[in-house]
Amino acid sequence: MVEEGARQNYSETEKQEIFDKEFLPNINAMYNFGYRLTLDRDDAKDLVQDTYFKAFRFIESFQKGTNAKAWLFRILKNSFINDYRKKRKEPNKVDYQEVESYYNSEDVNRQITPDLRVDALKDMIGDEISNALNSLDVDFRTVIILCDLEGFKYEEMAKILDIPIGTVRSRLHRARQLLKEKLSEYAKSMGYKNA
Amino acid sequence: MSQSTNPFTTATGKSPSCMEMLQLMLDGEVSSEQEAYFKAHMDQCMPCFKSHEVDMAIKQLVKDRCCGDGAPLELLQEIKHRMSQREK
Repeated sequence: MVEEGARQNYSETEKQEIFDKEFLPNINAMYNFGYRLTLDRDDAKDLVQDTYFKAFRFIESFQKGTNAKAWLFRILKNSFINDYRKKRKEPNKVDYQEVESYYNSEDVNRQITPDLRVDALKDMIGDEISNALNSLDVDFRTVIILCDLEGFKYEEMAKILDIPIGTVRSRLHRARQLLKEKLSEYAKSMGYKNA
Repeated sequence: MSQSTNPFTTATGKSPSCMEMLQLMLDGEVSSEQEAYFKAHMDQCMPCFKSHEVDMAIKQLVKDRCCGDGAPLELLQEIKHRMSQREK
């Protein structure tokens, strides 16, 4: 569940200090991540609570002053997969083999011509982008959130998601393509021709 | 583009595709040398230029519009409360 590192020996006061000063300030990002994963505000709250209690329980695996946000995101993602997703019996719908072979194939360059225009995007002032993101499969949603919203580097994402960096890149590429397709549909419905 | 001077070329000698360079640029996963190379490349590659513009706009939109309203106050209170119960 939690990455095994050198175990730290913290006093109760130190534990509380880490929790309050390094863990709790990430609550907004954690809640948003939980919400984007579950698409349900109550489930997001449960997931975040559960993550914080686990983080405290395993606090001695956390090295003070290191990347608390990445560590917490990793616990939250694991809780989502192990506890939440299994309960709901939602199997993985994405064929990653296909995603990776496509990414590494010659066909991929044919896709770079944009099918969206920047002016169409600028007119999306409502919930279009959020809805488009939420409509993606959860694993695609996740990489976009981690990268574009939270600004994690590929290496951090690989650790959070337990996948190789190459997979991070291919999944991110596919996710963005799908997001673009969705946004392109919105742009067309807004009256942009050849959007 | 000249492969011999392309700083994106991998250690195994694999030439990068435009798509790969675009993605690395977009996510700031480039060295200053790669960045300079890509910027010069964009001057000659219209699809790359257009794609980069759109990709950057989408990335910014995600950042601006998908960050949510923050965690509900009661969630923070509940966590703090349960933590204080635990200590007793």
